[in-house]
Amino acid sequence: MNSLSDISLELLIPESIMIIGILTMILIPNLGDAKIRIPLTNTSVPVFIGGTRFTQVNNPFIPSIVAIITFTLSFFMSLIMLQGAKNGEIGQIMEVNQFTTLFSLIFTSALLMTSIATFYRMPPKQNPEIPQDKDTESSASAKIRILMNNRRQVDFYILLLMVGLGMCLMSKSTHLFLLFVCLELASLSSYVLVGFYKESDIGGEAGTKYFIVGSVASAIGIYGMSLLYLWNGNLQIDSLTSSWSTMENLDPFAGIGVGLMLVAFGFKVGAAPFHLATPDAYSGASSPIAGLLATASKAMGFVAIMKILLIITSPEEGVEAYWFIAIALISVITMTWGNFAALTSVNPKRMLAYSSVAHAGYMLAAIAAIGSGLGDYNSNVLIITALIFHLTILVLFKFGAFLVLTLLENEGLTHNMDGLKGLTRRDPVIAISMFIFMLSLAGIPPLSGFLSKLLMINGIVNVSAGTGSVSSATVLTWMTSVNVVFWLALSIVINSAISLFYYLRVGLLMFFEEPVVEGPLAKSIYLRITIIACAIFTLLLGIGPLSESLLEIANEAAQSLL
Amino acid sequence: MGEMKHEYPLLYPLLPILLLVPILKLAGWESIDAAFLVVTIPLLIFPTILIIGQIYNKNQVWKNKWKEGGILALGALAVSLTIALWILFDYLYGDSHFSNQSTITWFEWITFDFLQSDYTISQESRIIGVGVWIDQVTLMILFVATFLCFLICWFSMGYMNTDPINEDRNHRFYAEFVLFSMGMFGMVLADSFLWLFIFWEIMGLCSYLLIGFYYWKVSAAYAAKKAFLTTRIGDVFLMVGLFILYDIYGSLDFEVIFDDPSTGVTGALVDSNQLFWALLLLFVGAVGKSAQFPLHVWLPDAMEGPTPVSALIHAATMVNAGLYLVARMVPFVDIHHHGVPGLENLGIIIALIGGITAFMAALIAFVQNDIKKVLAYSTMSQLAYIFTGLGVALWFYNTDHHHAAMIAFGASMFHLFNHAMAKGMLFMASGSVIHEVHHAHDHIHQDNHQDHNFDPQDMRNMGGLAAKMPITATAMMFGSMSIIGVPLIGGFWSKEGIIAETWKAAIEYEPIMIIPAILILATAGMTGFYMSRMWFMTFAGEPKNDVVNHVHEATPWIREPLLILTVITAIGGFGLALFDIIHFLSADIDHLKMHGFVYTLEHAFLPSDMNTRLVGWTTILLSFIIGPIIAARIHGGKLKEGTKAIALISWLVSLSGKFGHQNVENISKSQFSEALQNRLYFDDAYEYVISKTVIPFANLSAWFDRTIIDGIIKQVESKSVSSSLQVRKITTGSARDYILMAAVGMISIFILIWGVS
Repeated sequence: MNSLSDISLELLIPESIMIIGILTMILIPNLGDAKIRIPLTNTSVPVFIGGTRFTQVNNPFIPSIVAIITFTLSFFMSLIMLQGAKNGEIGQIMEVNQFTTLFSLIFTSALLMTSIATFYRMPPKQNPEIPQDKDTESSASAKIRILMNNRRQVDFYILLLMVGLGMCLMSKSTHLFLLFVCLELASLSSYVLVGFYKESDIGGEAGTKYFIVGSVASAIGIYGMSLLYLWNGNLQIDSLTSSWSTMENLDPFAGIGVGLMLVAFGFKVGAAPFHLATPDAYSGASSPIAGLLATASKAMGFVAIMKILLIITSPEEGVEAYWFIAIALISVITMTWGNFAALTSVNPKRMLAYSSVAHAGYMLAAIAAIGSGLGDYNSNVLIITALIFHLTILVLFKFGAFLVLTLLENEGLTHNMDGLKGLTRRDPVIAISMFIFMLSLAGIPPLSGFLSKLLMINGIVNVSAGTGSVSSATVLTWMTSVNVVFWLALSIVINSAISLFYYLRVGLLMFFEEPVVEGPLAKSIYLRITIIACAIFTLLLGIGPLSESLLEIANEAAQSLL
Repeated sequence: MGEMKHEYPLLYPLLPILLLVPILKLAGWESIDAAFLVVTIPLLIFPTILIIGQIYNKNQVWKNKWKEGGILALGALAVSLTIALWILFDYLYGDSHFSNQSTITWFEWITFDFLQSDYTISQESRIIGVGVWIDQVTLMILFVATFLCFLICWFSMGYMNTDPINEDRNHRFYAEFVLFSMGMFGMVLADSFLWLFIFWEIMGLCSYLLIGFYYWKVSAAYAAKKAFLTTRIGDVFLMVGLFILYDIYGSLDFEVIFDDPSTGVTGALVDSNQLFWALLLLFVGAVGKSAQFPLHVWLPDAMEGPTPVSALIHAATMVNAGLYLVARMVPFVDIHHHGVPGLENLGIIIALIGGITAFMAALIAFVQNDIKKVLAYSTMSQLAYIFTGLGVALWFYNTDHHHAAMIAFGASMFHLFNHAMAKGMLFMASGSVIHEVHHAHDHIHQDNHQDHNFDPQDMRNMGGLAAKMPITATAMMFGSMSIIGVPLIGGFWSKEGIIAETWKAAIEYEPIMIIPAILILATAGMTGFYMSRMWFMTFAGEPKNDVVNHVHEATPWIREPLLILTVITAIGGFGLALFDIIHFLSADIDHLKMHGFVYTLEHAFLPSDMNTRLVGWTTILLSFIIGPIIAARIHGGKLKEGTKAIALISWLVSLSGKFGHQNVENISKSQFSEALQNRLYFDDAYEYVISKTVIPFANLSAWFDRTIIDGIIKQVESKSVSSSLQVRKITTGSARDYILMAAVGMISIFILIWGVS
């Protein structure tokens, strides 16, 4: 057995910081002047927990500041670890490599943005004016509401830190059980976050629905895992991989087990037909949380899918994986469904939700291309690079779009596209940033969304184009002879064309319509800086040296995954 | 109108641009590293002006402090000009870190493998990237373009912003202006035919937008369409030419092609016949862009655009694009350096087209009464000179007369410089005249603002303006002298070279060259006539309309460009001739060399070759003596009693009255004159042919487009929307249904997996 000293804690610095953050957040608001009298004496020893709270710790800004500092520290620690390539194993259940560190970076950056956005979306009330008259019922309830609102700050940020902890540990785990526990830690916290605004019907409803569907999916997944355990007797990913590769025929336990786990993770990434709760959840949750779901949560689901499909059941070169057709079909259905549903969405958050469903479809198509077994090691690495790159930059422009919606949300303008009308007149910089995000989502050069899509399509075509009959006389005969993977690339292209319609409509509304509400948007300097930074990086990561270095990092991560 | 205001403080925000080069130098940049800024800064400013203008339209600060974007545009062009000058000085006097020609790829975007025609992936990767290519020709045209764009933008702030008709729309003008300039700079700097073509098309688009700036005027909209479509015809040919070039060399990069134009991509020798067609098609593109016969019809109509646009497109930049393209053909034909022999006919065709256009345009210019139209035809005619010179140069290069070829080439490029400077100034001066006459007219007829019978561009409403507009009159005098080729001034130095070399080719080597030779010699005399006629009609004689008496030269921003260009036109030609610019431009020497004063004069007026001397003096006689005297007899005359012009021009006015007067009523009523008035019926003929061929076909395709294509698209659209609604119906909002769907999905996965294994 491993002793505790074997665990090298320096590999878990980001997670440790988050745990410290959680502890801090629990402790600080409860600090008070409580004393314990030592029995049988008259001396009291201060223990600081409980009693009358100190005024300083009552400051409602503390939780958000602690959260922001924690995530910033974890982010930079992950960055340093990425730079220093600090890799290694922790016991037999976790492994740290470039891949996991890069995903820690993705998660922490998304969570950092959520915290910053929430700081604006759910502002703590400093020195709230507590009504003086003690008798009336309304003043009493107002007092409680203010108290509760500030108390809930702590709840919110603790949940956020839990999400972070779950996600980061999940990406590092090499044991399916730990993977599932961490995944659930993050998921359960996120269900609560979705329904955090329990005062509004829509928030509570969305949270409940998301929880119900999510728990069914989890149940199915854990059932699948138990089948895998029956088959192998061990949930270590290495052990599963070696058993799988030595398996002569597909064992029903193993096949069904993986199939059931696909359902669970398909729900996480929002693949059709398991995605149906996502639009409800996104539109019910506050925009920062919706952004978190669309980026970090999705990345988490893809990490799980990649670990199951590309490591455990990875196809040998030249042999088609048994899940290939299923994933290929799901990817096509997912992207088409997402894009068609987004076409007529009138709620911008639902539109973005469907758009993220479509993006999940594109990424599943890339995974299917690997599953076809046509490519060699290098071309598989290329496809995974594209996938990781896409998940990374998604944090910028998908989250950026949700951040813009956050700005509008406090005015109650996000239930309808009307809120975006004439945004250019109201706030040109924000409107242009939003337009950049939309263009990047659509994949317009030279933005980063284009680069990732190009790489993905390039990878798929690269794998499949050689399969067409070289001697074919016409394009038509070639098309019938080419492997089905080629058609995945084509469907990505067609779907991108469809998606342009609703992305550009946002631009149309912002630039050419008269605003519904006049006057400039609220001044929120940190949120604004974040949005502009997102827009700038959306451009910089699409073109120029920065995009190349990120691609290199993604390439290293892809190699360390395989 | 009103008091002349000094608005220079508005330029203070632009002062930091002066520090740009020192800062970049301190940061360790080479001038060539900064070359991309020439293009990118205008490219960035274009959307900036458009967006800010759209948002802050009608805002007083935007209108008065930023001139509706004019200051921003000027700033962008100032950056381009500064860096262009930096490159120029570095090239001439700096270290030899970029030698005669140099190219750097400063921007590599995407490297990708590509699908070949046999459906396999190519192993060699293609790079989409842009680089700069700098040699003498690039530098000269880049300087001309940046310098004139800057001055014209300056001029526009006076011309456009004081006209109430443009109010609240000027940001559009400046945005398009900057984008257009970007297109020109990019085209000149591009290091491959592909990027040259891309920027070429950007210019085409912007010229369409700018000519149609007054789009509510039917004539302007028509002119814009005509310019766009006519140049498009040329562009199609150009594109096909590029395809052939790509087929031959497997690349469109200058570096690859010019390294050894005689061997193609396969390593075999290039078939001269194939290359001839490629270059001929490129030339057709140039013909369209530079308004040469038979694609010249758009240029006169394009005068419908605002005057700064005329100056920008038709003098300084766009029409030079065609010349630049032809100048880039030299490596193909230069058999000294791996050129392909057997392309003599290309030079002959170019020279012939040039000669015909020069003569025809000059003829039509005889009868034009619109001041801008005269300049438009003059532009065509002068560009045709340059084409002739280039054609002769290409012929000489291909027949191994290296020295003669270099003189012809250098003279042509030098003429491009002289013409651009003079014509840019002439257009701006004509703009000044039109602007002030228009204002004066509005001033008198305040009650009757919409008096459509008065045309402020018609020279028959002018006359005697020399007394009212001294700066404009002086500028126009020097400009006209440069175009005419008055000895020692501007265009004289280059035109002489073109005519002499054409005659040399005709007399000594190739009899067929006698046609362009005679045509351009005759044109020299005709230029003397029509340019003098324009000046005399506008500035000399007694006022032909009461409006003239109320004209003042009072608009800010207009005078400075005129003054600067007057100086350049007056002494620039001679100055550059002293430095032997002709040999410099044809890459005979690497750096400018100072020649003796006497040597230069002797070389120009008393060349050793007897033929050249004869031709030169005939040109001077025709253009300087005969043409202007005839014009003076018809249109010249003294100013009205009591008015006086400044000394610099009064001699010319009084001289013009000394040759007597001749009435030309009879000639102007003749049939030939009528034909000239109707531009020799080219437009009518084209219209007839188009109405019989293109229009029926267009109707057919319109029908096809409306019913079949649009029908399909509308079907797709409505089906997408309805299927979108169907798809969204599945999202019922009830968690039970979601779980049901998940179950369905799970079962489907099983079925699929089972089906496979």
